[in-house]
Amino acid sequence: MSRLLVAGAETFLPPGCRVLLEAKGFKLKSCQRLQDAVAQVLEDPPDMLLVEKGFAGDGDRQLIRAVSACLQKANIPVLLALDEKELLTEMDWGHFAVDDIVLQPFSPEVLLARLRLAEARMMRVFDNNPLSRLPGNTSILRAIQKTLDSDHGFGICYVDIDNFKPYNDRYGFARGDEVLLMVARIIVNVVEEMGRDESFVGHVGGDDFVFIVREEKITPVCERMLKNFDLVRNMFLSAEDVAAGAFIGKDRQDRETRFGLLSISIAVVTTGSGKYHHAGEVSAVASQVKHYVKQLDGSNYLIDRRDN
Amino acid sequence: MAADDKDKLRKALREIKNLPTLPGIVAKLSKMAENPDTTTAQMGQVIGKDHILAAKLLKLVNSAFYGFPQRISSLSSAIILLGFNVIKSLIISASIFEIMEDQDVELWQHSLGCAVVCNVVAKRMGVSDPEEISTAGLIHDIGKVAVKMELPRQYAEINAIVKERQVPRREAELEVLGLEHAEVGSWLARSWNLPNKLVEPVAFHHDPGKAKEARLAAAIVHFGDIMVRGLGCGHGEDIWVPALNPQAWELLQLTPTAMDEILDEVEEKLWDVRGFSLDIKAELEANLQR
Repeated sequence: MSRLLVAGAETFLPPGCRVLLEAKGFKLKSCQRLQDAVAQVLEDPPDMLLVEKGFAGDGDRQLIRAVSACLQKANIPVLLALDEKELLTEMDWGHFAVDDIVLQPFSPEVLLARLRLAEARMMRVFDNNPLSRLPGNTSILRAIQKTLDSDHGFGICYVDIDNFKPYNDRYGFARGDEVLLMVARIIVNVVEEMGRDESFVGHVGGDDFVFIVREEKITPVCERMLKNFDLVRNMFLSAEDVAAGAFIGKDRQDRETRFGLLSISIAVVTTGSGKYHHAGEVSAVASQVKHYVKQLDGSNYLIDRRDN
Repeated sequence: MAADDKDKLRKALREIKNLPTLPGIVAKLSKMAENPDTTTAQMGQVIGKDHILAAKLLKLVNSAFYGFPQRISSLSSAIILLGFNVIKSLIISASIFEIMEDQDVELWQHSLGCAVVCNVVAKRMGVSDPEEISTAGLIHDIGKVAVKMELPRQYAEINAIVKERQVPRREAELEVLGLEHAEVGSWLARSWNLPNKLVEPVAFHHDPGKAKEARLAAAIVHFGDIMVRGLGCGHGEDIWVPALNPQAWELLQLTPTAMDEILDEVEEKLWDVRGFSLDIKAELEANLQR
């Protein structure tokens, strides 16, 4: 059963459409005010959004942006309803980040078909990590390749969490998942705020993440990430462990060992001027860099700037 | 108030989605959000000055949906985890008082002032996370806003009793509602999945001895509540400065010298609060003229 948020004026969705959609198992939630619609997206996000062009002035775009910012439920299909006349001047679809359009006045059957198609399409492209909802390996490889083909220099940055395994052993898997989510959120938020355009974040799996930013952003982004991580980290540790500054756990050989508290390591490979040709080369260099950065205490980043 | 009335109230509170806040703050934040150079941290600083938005942010980050239930107790962590876009959505979805009364401004100023005192005291006492305690101080009176919004008739009655009989607000609340705002606040905080480190100081800011896990935090909030009231920076809709709880005083162990130093530091920081308050009023007036 799909939950559909309908954002538009009071008469936006005709009763005929409503009846058909409900009969077909859609659960409808209508909002006439921008404030209510955004609150709904924040607190209880729908599975899909149908928004009327010109909803609450330029509220349509604000609402669409709120939906795409909703990380925990990425890939919420957005359908924009508009009058055919509005297409006479071509619209800037980069500005209206929607998945499809539906023409008004609605035909109930067409509307239903569009919604079903949007759902089906979403399932097809879904290689996102089920926990963090971040793009998975297929998308990561594609993003790296795009970077390599570009004329600009980028940093391909591999993040992993130090002492994650002993943390899981000590606190349990549910708490481990919280830490993964925490790291995912920190990476996404910093990259979105500071990396801006042409950046990318993906989740390789487990405690491994990748993000890509323009070369000149590498240092500020990494530094902010480490700082934010250190600020938030203690919320995920018990007061005793924080006070002790370490926790005792078993290492891979089952020996009792003292582990440092959680930290993150970022291994950065810089691209540009045709240094690398495919993603495999990048990950080989990254694992060497990672080897060095993991040996350092606490949270660190290390940038590989070799020329070939 | 009969037991089933209390249940009804509790149920209504659980469903509260939007506590309103001051239009001036929302106007200021909306303006900031439109500026592409605004950073998340700057937005966070303003949100950290508003008890309602702060509580809302903590509710969001601790909701099962975001994946950190009962985990996040400081505002700066909440802001780092939610990020700029979610904060922007929060501001769009914020509701404001339709009719703003002096009381609302006073309570806001009182809450912010209390957070300031809590921060000074917590730092001085060397607690591990002073920000957590100022966050608790900031939201300690959210129960009052909930009573005002959900039970306007009883709220007016409480106001009348306080005014006519010159009794402490808490006494009037007990008479009319059979419970006081601290309890209401703790229901809210609990139903919003806030961590115990925040729920307890809200619940026991009048009686910190009852706190189990966060007794020191509750004592600091109790002390901050009274001190800021005594300094005349906003008021919690109360005409009296409440009495200091001896147990709390014992826990804090503040010497006269320490008190003097705290007072100096607090007085200075409260100027910022007053300055911000003027800023917000100007923002509101500019907005009204638009």
